[in-house]
Amino acid sequence: MNQSDPHLEDIQAIRKLMEASSRFLSLSGLSGIVAGFLGLAGAVAAQLLITKISAPADWYMRPFAEGPDGYREFLPLVAVMAAVLVLAFSGAIIFSSRKARKSGHRAWTPVTRRMLVSLLIPLGAGGLFILLTAATVPAAVTVASTLIFYGLAVVSAGKFTFGEIHWLGVLEVIAGLVCLALPQYSIIIWAFGFGLLHIGYGLFMHLRYRG
Amino acid sequence: MKTILANFNKAFESRVRLGIMSVLAVNSSMDFTGLKETLEVTDGNLASHLRALEDAGYIIMEKSFINRKPNTRYTITEAGLDSFNSHLQALEELINKK
Repeated sequence: MNQSDPHLEDIQAIRKLMEASSRFLSLSGLSGIVAGFLGLAGAVAAQLLITKISAPADWYMRPFAEGPDGYREFLPLVAVMAAVLVLAFSGAIIFSSRKARKSGHRAWTPVTRRMLVSLLIPLGAGGLFILLTAATVPAAVTVASTLIFYGLAVVSAGKFTFGEIHWLGVLEVIAGLVCLALPQYSIIIWAFGFGLLHIGYGLFMHLRYRG
Repeated sequence: MKTILANFNKAFESRVRLGIMSVLAVNSSMDFTGLKETLEVTDGNLASHLRALEDAGYIIMEKSFINRKPNTRYTITEAGLDSFNSHLQALEELINKK
Protein backbone atom coordinates (compact mmCIF):
# COMPACT_ATOMS: atom_id res chain seq x y z
CA MET A 1 0.00 0.00 0.00
CA ASN A 2 2.63 2.50 1.11
CA GLN A 3 4.68 1.33 -1.85
CA SER A 4 2.11 1.81 -4.61
CA ASP A 5 0.33 4.96 -3.55
CA PRO A 6 2.92 7.37 -4.94
CA HIS A 7 2.86 5.32 -8.15
CA LEU A 8 -0.88 5.67 -8.40
CA GLU A 9 -0.40 9.41 -7.99
CA ASP A 10 2.24 9.30 -10.72
CA ILE A 11 -0.16 7.59 -13.10
CA GLN A 12 -2.91 10.03 -12.31
CA ALA A 13 -0.59 12.98 -12.83
CA ILE A 14 0.57 11.51 -16.15
CA ARG A 15 -2.98 10.98 -17.37
CA LYS A 16 -3.97 14.51 -16.38
CA LEU A 17 -0.94 16.02 -18.11
CA MET A 18 -1.47 14.01 -21.29
CA GLU A 19 -5.08 15.13 -21.42
CA ALA A 20 -4.51 18.76 -20.45
CA SER A 21 -1.55 19.23 -22.79
CA SER A 22 -3.23 17.78 -25.86
CA ARG A 23 -6.83 18.91 -25.41
CA PHE A 24 -8.53 22.21 -24.80
CA LEU A 25 -10.81 21.24 -21.93
CA SER A 26 -12.25 24.63 -21.16
CA LEU A 27 -14.58 24.72 -24.15
CA SER A 28 -17.92 25.60 -22.64
CA GLY A 29 -21.19 23.96 -23.60
CA LEU A 30 -22.98 27.22 -22.83
CA SER A 31 -21.14 28.91 -25.69
CA GLY A 32 -22.60 26.27 -28.02
CA ILE A 33 -26.12 27.13 -26.86
CA VAL A 34 -25.46 30.85 -27.32
CA ALA A 35 -24.00 30.22 -30.79
CA GLY A 36 -27.10 28.21 -31.66
CA PHE A 37 -29.51 31.00 -30.75
CA LEU A 38 -27.35 33.50 -32.61
CA GLY A 39 -27.44 31.14 -35.60
CA LEU A 40 -31.25 31.01 -35.47
CA ALA A 41 -31.42 34.81 -35.25
CA GLY A 42 -29.01 35.01 -38.19
CA ALA A 43 -31.19 32.65 -40.22
CA VAL A 44 -34.29 34.76 -39.57
CA ALA A 45 -32.41 37.95 -40.49
CA ALA A 46 -31.08 36.29 -43.65
CA GLN A 47 -34.56 35.13 -44.64
CA LEU A 48 -35.91 38.68 -44.22
CA LEU A 49 -33.01 40.17 -46.18
CA ILE A 50 -33.33 37.67 -49.01
CA THR A 51 -37.07 38.19 -49.44
CA LYS A 52 -36.46 41.95 -49.38
CA ILE A 53 -33.55 42.07 -51.86
CA SER A 54 -34.48 39.46 -54.40
CA ALA A 55 -38.13 38.58 -54.21
CA PRO A 56 -38.17 35.75 -56.81
CA ALA A 57 -38.98 32.33 -55.47
CA ASP A 58 -35.98 30.82 -57.20
CA TRP A 59 -33.46 33.08 -55.38
CA TYR A 60 -31.41 30.03 -54.43
CA MET A 61 -30.71 29.27 -58.10
CA ARG A 62 -29.13 32.68 -58.72
CA PRO A 63 -25.87 33.96 -57.24
CA PHE A 64 -26.16 36.15 -54.16
CA ALA A 65 -23.96 38.82 -55.72
CA GLU A 66 -25.54 38.77 -59.18
CA GLY A 67 -25.25 41.63 -61.64
CA PRO A 68 -23.25 44.88 -61.56
CA ASP A 69 -24.65 45.89 -58.16
CA GLY A 70 -24.35 42.35 -56.89
CA TYR A 71 -21.70 42.80 -54.23
CA ARG A 72 -23.38 45.94 -52.89
CA GLU A 73 -26.63 44.04 -52.47
CA PHE A 74 -24.80 41.06 -51.00
CA LEU A 75 -23.17 43.27 -48.36
CA PRO A 76 -26.00 43.35 -45.76
CA LEU A 77 -26.12 39.56 -45.77
CA VAL A 78 -22.35 39.37 -45.29
CA ALA A 79 -22.61 41.92 -42.47
CA VAL A 80 -25.29 39.87 -40.67
CA MET A 81 -23.26 36.68 -41.00
CA ALA A 82 -20.07 38.41 -39.83
CA ALA A 83 -21.97 39.77 -36.81
CA VAL A 84 -23.27 36.28 -35.97
CA LEU A 85 -19.75 34.85 -36.29
CA VAL A 86 -18.12 37.56 -34.17
CA LEU A 87 -20.80 37.39 -31.44
CA ALA A 88 -20.72 33.59 -31.31
CA PHE A 89 -16.93 33.63 -31.14
CA SER A 90 -16.97 36.24 -28.37
CA GLY A 91 -19.49 34.10 -26.50
CA ALA A 92 -17.16 31.11 -26.81
CA ILE A 93 -14.24 33.17 -25.49
CA ILE A 94 -16.22 34.59 -22.55
CA PHE A 95 -17.81 31.32 -21.47
CA SER A 96 -14.65 29.29 -21.95
CA SER A 97 -12.46 31.65 -19.96
CA ARG A 98 -15.11 31.62 -17.24
CA LYS A 99 -15.11 27.83 -17.24
CA ALA A 100 -11.30 27.79 -17.14
CA ARG A 101 -11.24 30.20 -14.20
CA LYS A 102 -13.80 28.13 -12.29
CA SER A 103 -11.91 24.88 -12.75
CA GLY A 104 -8.53 26.47 -12.09
CA HIS A 105 -7.14 25.76 -15.57
CA ARG A 106 -5.50 28.25 -17.83
CA ALA A 107 -7.45 28.83 -21.04
CA TRP A 108 -4.57 30.21 -23.09
CA THR A 109 -2.18 27.29 -23.57
CA PRO A 110 -0.15 25.88 -26.46
CA VAL A 111 -3.01 23.51 -27.27
CA THR A 112 -5.46 26.43 -27.39
CA ARG A 113 -3.26 28.10 -29.99
CA ARG A 114 -3.00 24.87 -31.97
CA MET A 115 -6.76 24.40 -31.84
CA LEU A 116 -7.36 27.93 -33.10
CA VAL A 117 -4.94 27.51 -35.99
CA SER A 118 -6.62 24.29 -37.07
CA LEU A 119 -10.01 25.99 -36.80
CA LEU A 120 -9.02 29.12 -38.67
CA ILE A 121 -7.36 27.51 -41.69
CA PRO A 122 -10.52 25.83 -43.08
CA LEU A 123 -12.69 28.71 -41.82
CA GLY A 124 -10.53 31.38 -43.48
CA ALA A 125 -10.34 29.39 -46.71
CA GLY A 126 -14.12 28.99 -46.63
CA GLY A 127 -14.70 32.69 -46.05
CA LEU A 128 -12.51 33.63 -49.00
CA PHE A 129 -14.08 30.94 -51.16
CA ILE A 130 -17.55 32.29 -50.42
CA LEU A 131 -16.61 35.91 -51.11
CA LEU A 132 -14.83 35.00 -54.34
CA THR A 133 -17.63 32.80 -55.71
CA ALA A 134 -20.66 34.79 -54.48
CA ALA A 135 -21.11 36.39 -57.89
CA THR A 136 -20.90 33.19 -59.91
CA VAL A 137 -22.38 30.24 -58.01
CA PRO A 138 -26.06 29.76 -57.08
CA ALA A 139 -27.01 31.11 -53.66
CA ALA A 140 -27.78 27.62 -52.39
CA VAL A 141 -24.18 26.60 -53.10
CA THR A 142 -22.94 29.61 -51.10
CA VAL A 143 -25.21 28.62 -48.19
CA ALA A 144 -24.03 25.01 -48.45
CA SER A 145 -20.37 26.10 -48.46
CA THR A 146 -20.76 27.96 -45.16
CA LEU A 147 -21.98 24.70 -43.57
CA ILE A 148 -19.38 22.49 -45.26
CA PHE A 149 -16.35 24.70 -44.52
CA TYR A 150 -17.53 25.33 -40.97
CA GLY A 151 -18.05 21.60 -40.43
CA LEU A 152 -14.56 20.83 -41.73
CA ALA A 153 -13.12 23.54 -39.47
CA VAL A 154 -14.88 21.96 -36.49
CA VAL A 155 -13.62 18.48 -37.37
CA SER A 156 -10.10 19.83 -37.71
CA ALA A 157 -10.20 21.78 -34.43
CA GLY A 158 -12.00 18.88 -32.73
CA LYS A 159 -8.74 16.91 -32.55
CA PHE A 160 -7.64 19.35 -29.85
CA THR A 161 -10.73 19.37 -27.67
CA PHE A 162 -13.56 17.08 -26.54
CA GLY A 163 -14.05 14.13 -28.87
CA GLU A 164 -17.80 14.76 -29.16
CA ILE A 165 -17.26 17.93 -31.17
CA HIS A 166 -15.98 15.78 -34.04
CA TRP A 167 -19.56 14.63 -34.61
CA LEU A 168 -20.87 18.19 -34.57
CA GLY A 169 -18.47 18.91 -37.45
CA VAL A 170 -19.51 15.80 -39.36
CA LEU A 171 -23.20 16.69 -38.98
CA GLU A 172 -22.52 20.25 -40.22
CA VAL A 173 -20.82 18.86 -43.32
CA ILE A 174 -23.75 16.50 -43.91
CA ALA A 175 -26.18 19.43 -43.51
CA GLY A 176 -24.18 21.31 -46.15
CA LEU A 177 -24.37 18.39 -48.57
CA VAL A 178 -28.11 18.01 -47.97
CA CYS A 179 -28.42 21.72 -48.71
CA LEU A 180 -26.89 21.08 -52.15
CA ALA A 181 -29.41 18.32 -52.78
CA LEU A 182 -32.44 20.32 -51.55
CA PRO A 183 -31.53 23.91 -52.47
CA GLN A 184 -35.08 25.19 -51.97
CA TYR A 185 -34.74 24.47 -48.24
CA SER A 186 -31.34 26.20 -47.90
CA ILE A 187 -32.36 28.62 -45.16
CA ILE A 188 -34.11 25.97 -43.10
CA ILE A 189 -31.16 23.62 -43.38
CA TRP A 190 -28.83 26.48 -42.49
CA ALA A 191 -30.95 27.27 -39.42
CA PHE A 192 -30.84 23.59 -38.49
CA GLY A 193 -27.04 23.42 -38.94
CA PHE A 194 -26.02 26.62 -37.21
CA GLY A 195 -28.97 26.86 -34.82
CA LEU A 196 -30.38 23.54 -33.67
CA LEU A 197 -27.19 21.48 -33.98
CA HIS A 198 -25.29 23.99 -31.83
CA ILE A 199 -28.04 24.18 -29.23
CA GLY A 200 -28.28 20.39 -29.08
CA TYR A 201 -24.52 20.01 -28.87
CA GLY A 202 -24.21 22.78 -26.28
CA LEU A 203 -26.92 21.29 -24.06
CA PHE A 204 -25.37 17.84 -24.30
CA MET A 205 -21.90 19.13 -23.38
CA HIS A 206 -23.22 21.37 -20.65
CA LEU A 207 -25.07 18.52 -18.97
CA ARG A 208 -22.27 16.05 -19.49
CA TYR A 209 -19.31 18.17 -18.37
CA ARG A 210 -21.16 20.71 -16.24
CA GLY A 211 -19.92 23.89 -17.85
CA MET B 1 8.73 -7.88 -7.90
CA LYS B 2 12.21 -7.88 -9.46
CA THR B 3 10.88 -8.31 -13.01
CA ILE B 4 8.48 -5.41 -12.67
CA LEU B 5 11.13 -3.13 -11.30
CA ALA B 6 13.39 -4.02 -14.21
CA ASN B 7 11.26 -1.81 -16.40
CA PHE B 8 11.28 0.96 -13.86
CA ASN B 9 13.28 3.72 -15.41
CA LYS B 10 15.66 5.72 -13.26
CA ALA B 11 15.50 8.58 -15.73
CA PHE B 12 11.84 9.10 -14.93
CA GLU B 13 12.19 9.22 -11.17
CA SER B 14 11.46 12.91 -11.04
CA ARG B 15 7.93 14.19 -11.43
CA VAL B 16 9.10 16.93 -13.78
CA ARG B 17 10.77 14.41 -16.10
CA LEU B 18 7.73 12.21 -16.04
CA GLY B 19 5.69 15.32 -16.85
CA ILE B 20 7.91 16.29 -19.77
CA MET B 21 7.65 12.78 -21.21
CA SER B 22 3.86 12.71 -20.75
CA VAL B 23 3.44 15.98 -22.59
CA LEU B 24 5.81 15.07 -25.42
CA ALA B 25 4.27 11.61 -25.81
CA VAL B 26 0.95 13.10 -26.93
CA ASN B 27 2.19 16.26 -28.69
CA SER B 28 4.30 15.99 -31.83
CA SER B 29 6.54 18.69 -30.38
CA MET B 30 6.40 21.54 -27.91
CA ASP B 31 8.54 24.58 -27.26
CA PHE B 32 10.20 25.52 -23.99
CA THR B 33 7.58 28.11 -23.06
CA GLY B 34 4.75 25.68 -23.77
CA LEU B 35 6.32 23.04 -21.53
CA LYS B 36 6.92 25.61 -18.82
CA GLU B 37 3.29 26.77 -18.95
CA THR B 38 1.91 23.23 -18.98
CA LEU B 39 4.07 21.87 -16.19
CA GLU B 40 4.15 25.07 -14.14
CA VAL B 41 7.83 24.86 -13.25
CA THR B 42 10.66 27.37 -13.22
CA ASP B 43 13.01 27.94 -16.18
CA GLY B 44 16.07 26.55 -14.41
CA ASN B 45 14.30 23.48 -13.08
CA LEU B 46 12.79 22.65 -16.47
CA ALA B 47 16.06 23.26 -18.33
CA SER B 48 18.05 20.88 -16.13
CA HIS B 49 15.50 18.08 -16.47
CA LEU B 50 15.27 18.64 -20.22
CA ARG B 51 19.03 18.37 -20.48
CA ALA B 52 19.02 15.09 -18.53
CA LEU B 53 16.38 13.60 -20.83
CA GLU B 54 18.26 14.85 -23.87
CA ASP B 55 21.48 13.24 -22.62
CA ALA B 56 19.57 9.99 -22.16
CA GLY B 57 18.53 10.20 -25.82
CA TYR B 58 14.83 10.32 -24.95
CA ILE B 59 14.11 13.72 -26.43
CA ILE B 60 15.72 15.93 -29.04
CA MET B 61 16.08 19.67 -28.96
CA GLU B 62 15.78 21.86 -32.01
CA LYS B 63 16.71 25.52 -31.97
CA SER B 64 15.32 27.95 -34.50
CA PHE B 65 14.31 31.56 -34.83
CA ILE B 66 10.73 32.80 -35.06
CA ASN B 67 10.57 36.52 -35.87
CA ARG B 68 14.24 36.75 -34.85
CA LYS B 69 13.40 35.43 -31.41
CA PRO B 70 15.10 32.17 -30.46
CA ASN B 71 12.68 29.26 -30.16
CA THR B 72 13.60 25.89 -28.67
CA ARG B 73 11.37 22.95 -29.51
CA TYR B 74 11.48 19.49 -28.02
CA THR B 75 10.43 16.23 -29.64
CA ILE B 76 10.29 12.76 -28.14
CA THR B 77 12.53 10.13 -29.76
CA GLU B 78 11.47 6.59 -30.56
CA ALA B 79 13.68 5.32 -27.76
CA GLY B 80 12.08 7.86 -25.46
CA LEU B 81 8.58 6.79 -26.33
CA ASP B 82 9.46 3.11 -25.92
CA SER B 83 10.99 3.55 -22.49
CA PHE B 84 8.21 5.88 -21.38
CA ASN B 85 5.63 3.28 -22.39
CA SER B 86 7.41 0.45 -20.59
CA HIS B 87 7.76 2.68 -17.55
CA LEU B 88 4.02 3.32 -17.65
CA GLN B 89 3.36 -0.38 -17.97
CA ALA B 90 5.60 -1.10 -15.00
CA LEU B 91 3.75 1.51 -12.97
CA GLU B 92 0.40 0.01 -13.89
CA GLU B 93 1.50 -3.56 -13.11
CA LEU B 94 2.77 -2.42 -9.78
CA ILE B 95 -0.56 -0.82 -8.96
CA ASN B 96 -2.56 -3.81 -10.15
CA LYS B 97 -0.42 -6.18 -8.07
CA LYS B 98 -1.43 -4.32 -4.93
